[in-house]
Amino acid sequence: MVNTQRLYLMCIRNTLDAAMCLQNFPCQEVERHNKPEVELKTSSELLLNPVLICRNEAEKCLIETSINSLRISIKVKQADELENILTKKFLRFLSMRAEAFQVLRRKPVQGYDISFLITNYHCEDMQKHKLIDFIVQFMEDIDKEISELKLSVNTRGRLVATEFLKQFM
Amino acid sequence: MAEREGVVEADNTEAIISRIEHKTRKIESLLKQSKPVEALKTALEGSPPKTKDERCKSANWIVVHRAMMAIKDVDGLFSLLDPEYYDILMKYLYRGLATGDRPTCDQCLRIHEKLTERAGLGCILRSLADTVNTV
Repeated sequence: MVNTQRLYLMCIRNTLDAAMCLQNFPCQEVERHNKPEVELKTSSELLLNPVLICRNEAEKCLIETSINSLRISIKVKQADELENILTKKFLRFLSMRAEAFQVLRRKPVQGYDISFLITNYHCEDMQKHKLIDFIVQFMEDIDKEISELKLSVNTRGRLVATEFLKQFM
Repeated sequence: MAEREGVVEADNTEAIISRIEHKTRKIESLLKQSKPVEALKTALEGSPPKTKDERCKSANWIVVHRAMMAIKDVDGLFSLLDPEYYDILMKYLYRGLATGDRPTCDQCLRIHEKLTERAGLGCILRSLADTVNTV
């Protein structure tokens, strides 16, 4: 099982390595504007084929590239209702603070849990392989965080219930 | 003029689908002889790149999928497969990864890692950038 995760992350890393070929490209329609083409999708000649990498039915990653920007959307594994709620709340917490992350998108793409938007400006300021390392590390850590959160919620719930029910003994 | 082209397209579609069925029979026999690499090679060559017809693409994908799932030894695959097939194999791998079906994705991820080691990032980029010949 760990092996599939390693292969999945390796595949994503290789695809990102190939897809992160971004350059500055001012908007073709409006002068003096510079927009991330992957978000607008107005001209098909500026877009590459979107790629969907699934590990299984629950986890997948959509990578869409264009000439000056790259969008990565991730769906995290959610085994039950509790993990569903925890994932949603935790990732919403992160997305609201997207300014601090710079490459994070404020709202995830429809059907996914979290999205990243990397533009050519990010590639100019930051090193490409470090950006890719960040994204892959993020994906690894999310799973650990969610299980830790679940564990702490269950522990707290158990403690509270024990204390509360003691009065009835 | 457009009508003539339309007729040619329809002929091509039928011709392609019959070719794919012919390929399927050949591949089944190769798989019975436990030659999965030859089966994959047969499935990949003659892939109809210029058709826009979804049925041809799906039919060819089913054939390639069958051959891909039968492969057990991924390292051996690359020692026998010619480099000209790497690009088209990469495109089919991404199609396989998009399905979301667990055994298909497992197999595709395994082949993808080894193929990237052999063919490099250029192969991935060619499959991303080629909007004309899609599978």
